[in-house]
Amino acid sequence: MANLTKAEPSILHNLAKHAPEGNSVSWSEIRGKNLKALNQTAFPHKKIEEWRFTDLKPVERTAFVPLNEAGTLPAADIEKYFIPESDRSRLVFINGSFQENYSSIGGLGKGVTVGNLNGFTNNSTVAEYFDKLVNYEDDVFTQFNGLMFEDGAFIHLEKGAKAEAPIQILNLYTDSAKPFVATPRMLVVAEEKSDVTIIEDHIGLSQNTYLTVPVCEVKVKKGAHIHHVRIQRDSINALHISRPIAYVEKNSEYHSYTITLGAKLSRNEPRVVQEDEEVDFTLDGLVLIDGEQIADTHSVMDHRFSHANSHQLHKVVVNGSAHSIFNGKIFVRRDAQKIDSFQENRNLLLSIDGLVNTKPQLEIFADDVLCSHGATIGQLDPEEVFYLQSRGMTEEKAKEVLTYAFALETIENVKVDSVHKLLIEEVYRYTKANTESKVTA
Amino acid sequence: MLELKNLHAEVEGEGIEILKGVNLKVNKGEIHAIMGPNGSGKSTLAKVIAGHPEYEVTGGDIIYKGESILEMDPDERAHAGVFLAFQYPVEVPGVTNTTLLRESYNTIAASRGREELDPLEFDDYIREKLDLVEMNPDFLERSVNTGFSGGEKKRNEIFQMAVLQPTLSLLDETDSGLDIDALRIVSEGINKLHGEEDAVVLITHYQRLLNYIVPDYVHVMLGGRIVKSGGKELAFELEEKGYDWLESLAKVNGEAK
Ligand SMILES: Nc1ncnc2c1ncn2[C@@H]1O[C@H](COP(=O)(O)OP(=O)(O)O)[C@@H](O)[C@H]1O
Ligand SMILES: [Mg+2]
Repeated sequence: MANLTKAEPSILHNLAKHAPEGNSVSWSEIRGKNLKALNQTAFPHKKIEEWRFTDLKPVERTAFVPLNEAGTLPAADIEKYFIPESDRSRLVFINGSFQENYSSIGGLGKGVTVGNLNGFTNNSTVAEYFDKLVNYEDDVFTQFNGLMFEDGAFIHLEKGAKAEAPIQILNLYTDSAKPFVATPRMLVVAEEKSDVTIIEDHIGLSQNTYLTVPVCEVKVKKGAHIHHVRIQRDSINALHISRPIAYVEKNSEYHSYTITLGAKLSRNEPRVVQEDEEVDFTLDGLVLIDGEQIADTHSVMDHRFSHANSHQLHKVVVNGSAHSIFNGKIFVRRDAQKIDSFQENRNLLLSIDGLVNTKPQLEIFADDVLCSHGATIGQLDPEEVFYLQSRGMTEEKAKEVLTYAFALETIENVKVDSVHKLLIEEVYRYTKANTESKVTA
Repeated sequence: MLELKNLHAEVEGEGIEILKGVNLKVNKGEIHAIMGPNGSGKSTLAKVIAGHPEYEVTGGDIIYKGESILEMDPDERAHAGVFLAFQYPVEVPGVTNTTLLRESYNTIAASRGREELDPLEFDDYIREKLDLVEMNPDFLERSVNTGFSGGEKKRNEIFQMAVLQPTLSLLDETDSGLDIDALRIVSEGINKLHGEEDAVVLITHYQRLLNYIVPDYVHVMLGGRIVKSGGKELAFELEEKGYDWLESLAKVNGEAK
């Protein structure tokens, strides 16, 4: 489908010449394929429907340099981001590069393989799925990642294997003299009846500008379960464009929870593709933004077979002159009957200058389908504020409590204790900062 | 305890006057009942005393414990011991009853120089109060009023009153939505909570509640004014004759006692 004319080169196209060498035949093939595609794909702009509300100028106009020319600073105090449950099941990446010394594996029990993708170039599972699952139409970002990636997380569960601990994939980004681009990569393959929990965390250690383009491929085979928490706490000047895609087979479950807190501009495009009947999946999201932040979620839930339960609760709190965009596509193909799909996008607008664009998009071609969907944009209810005040809370406290309560619902299902706790703290920090800024305003 | 002096109030920014000169005096240790037909301004009066920002006081004054409270925010009034049991208690999804009560209790305690309670002490304290209104402890961990039946909401309001120990309780139609057993339990609770140092203002349009809680004074509100006051026998008279015979009084300017 890509047209064969050469695309007008963007900053990403220009960086392509710094692509690493392939360290195996298959790696070289992947890079070659992506380079070719990238050269034929134009950088997106606002005239394209999918990018109508999100201006990518901050990406286009930044003079990104290859990582080795960026003058990156070392990372300090990394340990404080380790979650205790993943004491022996943790992979650490700094600016996309694998850190063996900070990583720890071996606490996962039988049948679970975890490691740096780069060490598995000859693995048959990697050969079968890597870069084959990713499916985003004419997308320079996935192509760029497919060309530039070096390291990444590889998680494989054999048939019936249950990971004994949650796996933490910790992506840290350090301060740098010049802006750089990171291309984190993940491949997760859960064979039949296996079970794993993954905590994917992106943390900016400073306030510098960088672009990260994580691509994550997930395959959930028959009867397997995956619980996937994704936390985006990038630097306040970072640009984050992520493409996580999951394929769910018969009787499998995939539940993902994305928490968006950081980055100046983020675009998250989670997708779930149903591959057989009897599946259950979740694509929940919580977005807390302030200042000049822009957070965009474009999701796809693709129901291709009968008997699916799907759930998407996307909650957003906007303060300052931040801008949230939500486009939730739900496809129900012609032969997909008995689908029960829930989608709701609730937006809480705390400021006059905040902006919300929301577009639930249902494309249903089957008839026996239960699809509830809705989008609301609102302020805090003054009756609720008065009620709490009449019970002795100050106006600020009442607003804080109500904002906090609004946000909390989406993280209730995160089942790793320390992560649940840290998310509560993040929510608390956000609501606290907001009410304080309003008092002084 | 409370003195309303020719109190006028309108809907903020809309110029619709609802309270048209209310006079009322409540001493500590007393129970007052305010009765009157729908739309006469009873709930507005209660909300104005509690400091609802939807209404603007355009004349007169509210004196509480010897001082005007017009300039006080609703939370400051709560700290000073004013409590409003809402006619329509608000649902607050995501905030549990315990969270609300612990937060409220401790801020009020701090402002009144009472000892704050740690979570364990608070738990004991709160359970004792649950018994008073015979409420199931399950309600503690549920979101405030969310999905509660009408009666459960009313009971929850009195439960909060029990926990917060106000000195002036304004109970707005607490009896509506309660079945006869619940009415008895809630009324007994209120009677136990009321003592020499506090005052209760009951707002109701049924005489029914007054069989359980015996008021010292009964007032009739009509058209934004108190048009008649009397002892508890006035309630029986109203039950018998309705409000029509008082309509003419509503039209008299100024004090109508
Ligand atoms: N916020 C408001 N905006 C407009 N009218 C109001 C508002 N609040 C109360 N009113 C009006 O004031 C009158 C008194 O209402 P209310 O105090 O609720 O009466 P009661 O409690 O005695 O039934 C009613 O006519 C009601 O419609
Ligand atoms: Mg009323």
